[in-house]
Amino acid sequence: MTIKIWKHFPREDLYECYQCARCTGSCPAMEVAPAYGPRETILKCLNLGHDKVVEDEKVWLCCTCNVCEDRCPQKIPISDLLVALRNSAARRGNIPTRLSMALELLAKTGRSMIVHQLDEMRAHHGLSPLPAAPVEELRDILKKTGRDEVIEF
Amino acid sequence: MADLNGIRIGVYVCHCGKNIGGTVRCDEVAEYARQLPGVALATDSLYTCSEPGQEQIKHDIREHQLNRVVVASCTPRLHEPTFRAACESAGLNPYLLEMANIREHCSWVHLHDKDAATEKAKDLVAMAVGRAAKLMPQFEVTVPVARKAMVIGGGVAGIQAALDMADAGYQVYLVERTGSIGGRMAQIDKTFPTMDCSICILAPKMSEVGRHPNIELLTLSEVQEVQGHIGNFKVKVLKKARYVTKECTACGDCIKASPQHAPDEFNAGLSIRRAIYIPFAQAVPSTFLVDMDRCLNNSGIVACDRCFQACSHKCIDFAANDEVLDLDVGTIVVATGVDVYDPTALTELGYGKFPNVITTLEFERLINAGGPSGGELIRPSDRRRPQRVAFLQCIGSRSKRSNPYCSNVCCMNTVKDALLIKEHWPDTEIYVFYIDIRAFGKGFEDLFQRARREGVTFVRGIPGEIIEDIKTGDLTLLGENTLLGKHYRHRMDMVILSVGIKPHKDADKIQRLLNLATDTDGFYMEAHPKLRPVDTTTGGVFLAGAAEGPKDIKDSVTQASAAASRANILMSRGEVKIPAITSRIDPKKCTACGLCARVCPYHAIEGSKEQGFYRVIEAACQGCGACVPECRFGALDQTHFTEDQIVSQINAALASDPHDKILAFACNWCSYAGADFAGVSRIQYPHNVRIIRTMCSARVSPSWIEKAFIMGAGAVLVSGCHPADCHYNNANQNTARRVERFWKRMEKQGINKDRLRLAWVSAAEGAQFAKVIKEMEAGLKKLTSQQIQEAAEKLQKSLTKKSEAT
Ligand SMILES: Cc1cc2nc3c(=O)[nH]c(=O)nc-3n(C[C@H](O)[C@H](O)[C@H](O)COP(=O)(O)OP(=O)(O)OC[C@H]3O[C@@H](n4cnc5c(N)ncnc54)[C@H](O)[C@@H]3O)c2cc1C
Ligand code: SF4
Ligand code: SF4
Ligand code: SF4
Ligand code: SF4
Repeated sequence: MTIKIWKHFPREDLYECYQCARCTGSCPAMEVAPAYGPRETILKCLNLGHDKVVEDEKVWLCCTCNVCEDRCPQKIPISDLLVALRNSAARRGNIPTRLSMALELLAKTGRSMIVHQLDEMRAHHGLSPLPAAPVEELRDILKKTGRDEVIEF
Repeated sequence: MADLNGIRIGVYVCHCGKNIGGTVRCDEVAEYARQLPGVALATDSLYTCSEPGQEQIKHDIREHQLNRVVVASCTPRLHEPTFRAACESAGLNPYLLEMANIREHCSWVHLHDKDAATEKAKDLVAMAVGRAAKLMPQFEVTVPVARKAMVIGGGVAGIQAALDMADAGYQVYLVERTGSIGGRMAQIDKTFPTMDCSICILAPKMSEVGRHPNIELLTLSEVQEVQGHIGNFKVKVLKKARYVTKECTACGDCIKASPQHAPDEFNAGLSIRRAIYIPFAQAVPSTFLVDMDRCLNNSGIVACDRCFQACSHKCIDFAANDEVLDLDVGTIVVATGVDVYDPTALTELGYGKFPNVITTLEFERLINAGGPSGGELIRPSDRRRPQRVAFLQCIGSRSKRSNPYCSNVCCMNTVKDALLIKEHWPDTEIYVFYIDIRAFGKGFEDLFQRARREGVTFVRGIPGEIIEDIKTGDLTLLGENTLLGKHYRHRMDMVILSVGIKPHKDADKIQRLLNLATDTDGFYMEAHPKLRPVDTTTGGVFLAGAAEGPKDIKDSVTQASAAASRANILMSRGEVKIPAITSRIDPKKCTACGLCARVCPYHAIEGSKEQGFYRVIEAACQGCGACVPECRFGALDQTHFTEDQIVSQINAALASDPHDKILAFACNWCSYAGADFAGVSRIQYPHNVRIIRTMCSARVSPSWIEKAFIMGAGAVLVSGCHPADCHYNNANQNTARRVERFWKRMEKQGINKDRLRLAWVSAAEGAQFAKVIKEMEAGLKKLTSQQIQEAAEKLQKSLTKKSEAT
């Protein structure tokens, strides 16, 4: 079951999780989104396998703050695992719209937000307009990191 | 079946049921053995160690005039004594037995490759046959065992061991570091699972030690030096001054007079004691002592004599001195016990920062009637009785951030503590946050169920964080109840951390003094985990109590009685046989250069240039063999591990496909045992390694390494105990020196020096042994036959040059 996860995350220590829940107890994301908890994600990796975990939208709730990892008695690199899971999820199309939209914007405009209104505001305060974003370079990065598979641009 | 100057070897290939037979084709191995030089007969059997198996060997010795026996089976560390005894009872000298380890070093570590395992087993048998042909009968010398014992550590285990040996009639020295015996058990309020009052059941035993005519109690004492060996240890003990004489009646008149204060260690620092004090009311000896670090007279001048003035018996003596005592003992029991884990490092729990977060040891003192609060459970912040109490399990245990093992006693200890609170203050709400509740012992499950019936709430999931309300001192626990999959926020008045136990902080000092081994967790290692659970690898030294591994009082006492009875056996016999593995100097070849004497870790070689000779003192030689490779004139050799015996093993190991092989030398105590442990744990590793056992890695001669490479060995491993753990007083520093010199030589001659590896592998590091072999195998794959051939020629050339020169 864990075989596929290992392809993205080759660490045996996943098996050593005690399910003690110190990670979930420390997680700031859990404070905001009570449905989430890294302990449960790890249990799902072990018991349900890769495919089920990457279908789960909860993997997108982690904010990679690393607190869980600091407190995990087994030193499991939990946030690295979540990054790996999200990469895998994104490739399968499990990516929240707000994120894929931001990525698309990034590819098209070089920024993850719409900024033309910002320019008006900046002008109002006597600030120069924002410099042009390095769109080509960003697209290159998106290609090299495989993000082009996830979004179209 | 070839004849060899009258040598007639019988070879027995054991199936060990399916343990070997399931992987190695034993009949084929026996068939192969039949054509080896000197082999008179070879056969396979289902269980060679069984009665019929042994009878077969005895029968064959008589019937077929066998004069050597090779048993290919499990590790010699297990059954060598069995088969030696079988040989002896058939009239064959026990030293004419040789074993091939085809289980731990073969079938168990190559489970999935029957062909390779069978081929390896053939090589191992050929090596054993080669060595067997060179074996000589040996006769062991007998040394007397002094009928006196020393026990190190006066906890419940040390107390029990001392009493058992003293009751058997032997003189016992009980050495305790602190001012009183009693150990952890004296600090505990009640004991699980029976809820007995701890000090009430311990105190009678403590006083018995104090009065026993055969026990000399040495408190405030530490072992400084241990020389000698089984039956005859010479020990130096530093007995620190107590500054209060035996006449002290423990009236306590001096206490109030003392102006100096210190945290009270016995009460886990929760209260204050004076510079003159008694560790606790029931202390044995029941004599006060002066803590000189706190006393105003610590510079040597008497600046204060208030306590002296207060004492009506005038038994305070500031002029007292530390003493060094010399003890001669035959046996030693180590019972140094445990310390508790300090949770300060787990900052998210706030221990040391939030006053109302305490440990279970502090709780024991709080709830004890003789403790700092007179048995009242109070919060340190406001001395209020807590209404809501939380216990957090596995603190400092089962964690790579602290100790990876389960501490064994903390689950039941918490159950006991929760019940104690319920007993005194039934309205208290108690929450236990846990991962697993381990209630495995007799009476444990009952106690656990009782706690549940009494209303203790068990929540699965350890809090990730504790937040303190600065105003009230209350604590909020954040976490997840994993069974409900729901987050919790529990407000508590008090949090008790169920801290684990770890080896006593002095454990490594005792380990070095007695040449003991420790496991990866730092607890002392038994000679065999199942069959010799209280023996150590140092003859005459036994283990008792929690120093050997986390355990409760009952198990500590059981083990202490076992250790005492093992020591009693030695002392009642009064003599012991020493293995015939000492070194010998051939006076004809010795030039009296004295190099050997310089490396001997036991000063067992005496002589001088003036006298014109050196010789080995047999009774002092421990048989490490470190001296042998040091001699440039070939004057030294080690009995039963002779040069020609090992060379025949090397010849047999490298007879076929040497380029693909790793020749490994492993010391008996650590590395060979580590390889055994890899087998026991079924850790799989490449099959091309051939292991030769020596007692110490320092016996490994550079000439063997040279020979192996000249024969075309792909790689050579020299492995021994970790530097501080050498069983022969750091003899293995010679190993390192010699290997380093050989590396330099390889470098100079342009030979890839990675082909020779030096690795320290302890008896607990089976995985490490496997890892080393895997890495060496990876290196070997990168070598070409041509490189191996060229290196062999270079070494051969320099060897020929050297021998021409002499
Ligand atoms: C908080 C807590 C509660 C517990 N509750 C229970 C319970 O309810 N029931 C139960 O069965 N078990 C309980 N245990 C376990 C119990 O304490 C141990 O099983 C027991 O103490 C082990 O005895 P010991 O003699 O091996 O070691 P210890 O009690 O640790 O004694 C070791 C002694 O050796 C001395 N020493 C150490 N090093 C040296 C040295 N180098 N030289 C000389 N002396 C030395 C120490 O000073 C000490 O006196 C509890 C443990 C803890 C920590
Ligand atoms: S803290 Fe670590 S061991 Fe505990 S549940 Fe989380 S990942 Fe598993
Ligand atoms: S890294 Fe992610 S899962 Fe871990 S604590 Fe932070 S937000 Fe939670
Ligand atoms: S005994 Fe219980 S609390 Fe202690 S380490 Fe083991 S599981 Fe954890
Ligand atoms: S070095 Fe070792 S083998 Fe040699 S005499 Fe000393 S103890 Fe004996």
